[in-house]
Amino acid sequence: MCDEAGEAGGDIAVAYFYFDSAIQKEQSAASVLGALLKQVVGGFTQIPGKIMDAFRRHKKFVGGRKLQLPEIVKMLGSFSSTQPTFFCLDAVDECAAPDRAKILLSLKEISKASPTSRVFLTGRPYVGGEVGKRLSEGVVLVSICPPRSDIVQFIQTKLEEDTTLDEMDERLEAEIVEKIPETFSDM
Amino acid sequence: MQNHITVTEDRSEILTWLSPLEPHLRHHDIRENRVKGVGDWLLRTEEFRSWMNGDAQSESQKETMFCSGNLGAGKTYIR
Repeated sequence: MCDEAGEAGGDIAVAYFYFDSAIQKEQSAASVLGALLKQVVGGFTQIPGKIMDAFRRHKKFVGGRKLQLPEIVKMLGSFSSTQPTFFCLDAVDECAAPDRAKILLSLKEISKASPTSRVFLTGRPYVGGEVGKRLSEGVVLVSICPPRSDIVQFIQTKLEEDTTLDEMDERLEAEIVEKIPETFSDM
Repeated sequence: MQNHITVTEDRSEILTWLSPLEPHLRHHDIRENRVKGVGDWLLRTEEFRSWMNGDAQSESQKETMFCSGNLGAGKTYIR
């Protein structure tokens, strides 16, 4: 998705994040939104004055201070309203619930400030209700259920990359290609 | 020249200050492992196209797309 939006051409900014349940503590709402801001700002030729000022201001404190979530959200809303911006966040179910709530509400605020921005989220079905509630009317829900052709193509590619060729023959390969898509449809 | 070096250093320092997280590392791994063409079906759907190219002025415009699916459905690898 990030690559598709990036290749769409024009002055489009793309910022993305992949959640990982194994490192939830590192993925706080401020760090994640900060990572999105970092990518948007990183796309500019020059660091905007607002960021420079904030950086200098926060650096004066002993040990330095980080931007707070409301400041990050405000800046994201402001920068993403100058160019269409895509925010892509993968596996929102892997984000800790309190951070997820803050992140979803922040995304809603950013979208309100910048009508040309778009948010693309993925996650397991059980967080769908929460996403819908937090972002209210503005959500298109799509169920990801890959077509059989995708599954077959995926299996064939993996079989081609197989390192234990001696144990594979045409019959076994045909059986794998036939059986695996069937089990997938039961998921 | 002196100024130029300072500016370059500042840029990287400021970006790290914004967040220590480096999502491009994970993105790179995903790009490497993606099987070409898999997941493209979503990009051809009417829902996706109207979400992506929608009219910002339209009141019915939905700014968020949520793709839900079980573990292993390929959500992460949608191009």
